[in-house]
Amino acid sequence: MNADQPLVCQIRVKSHLDSDWTDWFDGLTITREENGDTLLTGPLADQAALHGLLKKVRDLGLTLVSVNPIDPGPSPTPEIGRPDVPEVSQSR
Amino acid sequence: MEKLLSTKLYIPPSRPKLVARPRLIRQLSEALSPGRTPGVTLISAPAGFGKTTLVSSWIYDLRLMLDDVRAKTSSQEKIANPDSQIENPGSSIVNRVAWLSLDEGDNDPARFLVYLISALKTIGINIEEGQLASLHAPQPQPPPFELILTSLLNEILTFPDDFILVLDDYHVIDSQAVDKALTFLLEHQPPKMHLVIATREDPSLPLARLRAHGQLTELRAADLRFTLSEATEFLNRVMSLELSAENIAALETRTEGWIAGLQLAALSMQGQKDTASFIQSFTGSHHFVMDYLVEEVLQRQPEHIQIFLLHTSILKRLCGPLCDAVLLDPSVSGQETLEYLERANLFIVPLDDERRWYRYHHLFADLLRQRLYKSMSSSAEDAEVRVNELNIRASQWFEDQGLDLEAFHHAAAANDLGRAARLVQEKGLPLHSTSAMAPVLKWLASLSSTALQARPSLWVTHAALLLATGQTEGVEEKLQAAEVVLAPVMQDPSLDERIRFLIGQIAAVRSTLALTRYDIKGMLYQSQRALEYLPPGHAVVRCTALWTMGYACYLQRDLSRAKRAYLEAISISQASGAIFTVILATIGLANVQEAENELHQAAATYRRVLHLAGDQPQQIVHDAHLGLARLLYEWNDLEAAERHGEQALQLARQYESFIDRYIICELFLARLKLAQGDVGAAAALVTKTAHSVRQKNFVHRIPEVADAQVLMLLHQDNLAAAAQLVQAHELPIARARVHLAQGDPTAALAVLKDWRQQAELTGWENERLKTMALQAVAQRANGEIDQAVQTLGDALVLAEAEGCIRTFVDEGVPMAQLLSEASARGTMPDYVAKLLAAFETEPLKQRDKASSQLLVEPLSQRELEVLQLIAQGLSNDEIGKRLFLALDTVKGHNRRIFDKLQVQRRTEAVARARKLGLI
Repeated sequence: MNADQPLVCQIRVKSHLDSDWTDWFDGLTITREENGDTLLTGPLADQAALHGLLKKVRDLGLTLVSVNPIDPGPSPTPEIGRPDVPEVSQSR
Repeated sequence: MEKLLSTKLYIPPSRPKLVARPRLIRQLSEALSPGRTPGVTLISAPAGFGKTTLVSSWIYDLRLMLDDVRAKTSSQEKIANPDSQIENPGSSIVNRVAWLSLDEGDNDPARFLVYLISALKTIGINIEEGQLASLHAPQPQPPPFELILTSLLNEILTFPDDFILVLDDYHVIDSQAVDKALTFLLEHQPPKMHLVIATREDPSLPLARLRAHGQLTELRAADLRFTLSEATEFLNRVMSLELSAENIAALETRTEGWIAGLQLAALSMQGQKDTASFIQSFTGSHHFVMDYLVEEVLQRQPEHIQIFLLHTSILKRLCGPLCDAVLLDPSVSGQETLEYLERANLFIVPLDDERRWYRYHHLFADLLRQRLYKSMSSSAEDAEVRVNELNIRASQWFEDQGLDLEAFHHAAAANDLGRAARLVQEKGLPLHSTSAMAPVLKWLASLSSTALQARPSLWVTHAALLLATGQTEGVEEKLQAAEVVLAPVMQDPSLDERIRFLIGQIAAVRSTLALTRYDIKGMLYQSQRALEYLPPGHAVVRCTALWTMGYACYLQRDLSRAKRAYLEAISISQASGAIFTVILATIGLANVQEAENELHQAAATYRRVLHLAGDQPQQIVHDAHLGLARLLYEWNDLEAAERHGEQALQLARQYESFIDRYIICELFLARLKLAQGDVGAAAALVTKTAHSVRQKNFVHRIPEVADAQVLMLLHQDNLAAAAQLVQAHELPIARARVHLAQGDPTAALAVLKDWRQQAELTGWENERLKTMALQAVAQRANGEIDQAVQTLGDALVLAEAEGCIRTFVDEGVPMAQLLSEASARGTMPDYVAKLLAAFETEPLKQRDKASSQLLVEPLSQRELEVLQLIAQGLSNDEIGKRLFLALDTVKGHNRRIFDKLQVQRRTEAVARARKLGLI
């Protein structure tokens, strides 16, 4: 992971959060899991933004379980009108 | 500086109804037992674990114990056992607590130190006012922290009692500089200081080392959680619920002993009949505990309380009138509501004894804030507008109270650009305090370019602030961006005052930029332009331009213009109380006075700076010490000169490592060593300095180093190397000396004549005097004795009133000879006698140990002439022909020359004569 490139991150915390909390967490998607965890997923500008988010988790007293980068993956449908360019493999 | 917030120093009172936690209290007190090495107590746990409550109740207990012990001691024990030691750990030693609640602003190390010093002041550890002054001044260099901390530690060491220093909320500290400062304190921890740090995350301090040395007491989440029995006591006794053991266990499990959680749960259940169903739904859900419970608690409050809580959650601290201003609801009294919340234990903390200021528990406030938007409106946009309105009301209230920093914070939070910009620019907010600069800079950096297009002045403000904090990157770009927007307006000859100010400010910033690049022409042009455009007033910007202009003129040797600029800068900054600028400009003035050879005046001016700076000066003051050192050197008070020189060096070293000022101090001390007679040591110092300059690429110091090197080389008789150096650098005086050493006084005189003329043209009297002294020596070496004495006489006339000594003594034996000659001719007898006496006390220069400094009988004019021709390699015959003397006469002269020089042969005579500087 490059230090200043945008990244897609998934933060896992214990206990459920309402979707109301999206704004508080800079627009990340909130997913509640059956085991009682919540996933906060979404793009972050850079490492500094990630640390800022982790601070928010800390300050709310939430228990942090894990932080994982997410591979954005290739787009599902090709755009109409684009020249036929071969897929370039994702580099980490 | 912003007004000191005494609330940060307030020790939170112990709450009346608390669960007793004796095991934790005991652990805290153990750290204080006599005989234990001083260390740190670290309380590290997430929000809501009762850290602050624990520490404040522990302190309260200690005080009770101490009072108890005191009472017992005074009545019985003292009579029975006058020398008995009190066993209670903590009681016999601790009676002083200093408390500092940290916030984000304390990431500015200067502010952190100010508050640290203020906290210690509350228990009677007093630091000099001067030390605080250096922390308040905004300047591009961070204050000399190690110096300040060392002096703080020294003060602490003289403090008779053990004391506790509590740093609460240390997790807000992100700054390496503050961590470093605290680490420094820990590495030199005085035995009577006990440090307690409460934080949500482990701090960047050498914890592992402290642990290994047994100096760390730790209380962590696992220790702070409520045990089942503690939870029982809390819920049933403190909160007066009547829960079964089973229910309590369920709550304990659900909250994992988290105190904030249990407290909210208790609040939700108070006054409710059906606690069982609450517990069932609560323990059955996965919902984030705090969120769930805050919702519960809020719902149970009357509506006006709910609104109060939500709306005031935007405030970092609350007082009655402020809340009234934000709520604008005449039916609700802010003060009464705050007191109600405190009685209801609704997560509100008093910040003073008068019950004027409060704050919410951070966690509670965060949760309220999260709810605030949703509660205002279902539409996100609408909600934002309404919340902004709340912030604006808060901003206005703070502004009306003169609390500009907090007013700015709320204006920025409200996205009210106009209001924030007004506070920053018109109230001069950032220019008065370094700690205000960080949030303002952050805010400025966050503004979009569309926002800035409408307010080009903010670009300029941003550029000026960056420069004020020592950053040059991006400054020019911002100025240009502002100019682009201003371009159409700038054509108009009748510019309105605000535009004129902007243009002036842009030029002033550019003049400072030019300074960082040593671009003298740029400095002159821009500062002139700034002064031209700046409307009257605007003291700070005007002084920046004036000082830069003064400095540029000084560098260009335009002394009278420099003086005028400095004097104006001094008077304006004195009127506006900007001590830092007064110091800067006064040093500049002293430099000019020195250059004009007004030495006594210059010394007085330098001393004025030292007085202004007080006991704990900033790095810039090194220049005053150095100036004074130079003057004391000239007056031959070498001891005092060395003292000030060392102080200058110590201060200059406190700059960031890329600042080259300490080089000048080192070179001065090397010359001092030379005057003290230790050529070897002096040369070694110069070599070391030259090495530093090369390593760090301090290009602007290279000529000064070369000059010093030439001096050393000449004293070591290394003529070849000295000659090489003067070829490579433009150093007139050094070049003249080399010519003299090479036996070419004519060439030396040519250089000196030129240089003297230049000095006379620019009024650089100091330099003129030194040139004349060397000129006299060169004339003598050239056989022009009469001329030499004349020149010396002229120099003496210039020098007498200012008491110059070393200008002459530093020229060595040839000058002594010349002075004897002048004395013989009756020139200024008192002064000459004084100078000759100074020669007597000169230490023998190491290499001269073989010969005495002064010849018992000086060589006559004729003998010198003969010696010069011998040195040029002429035979006795040729000398006779040249000087129209008989061969016998020449031989006679030779004999007397050899006698006087105590040598046997021609070659020795020439060598000796050169060594003594006779030819």
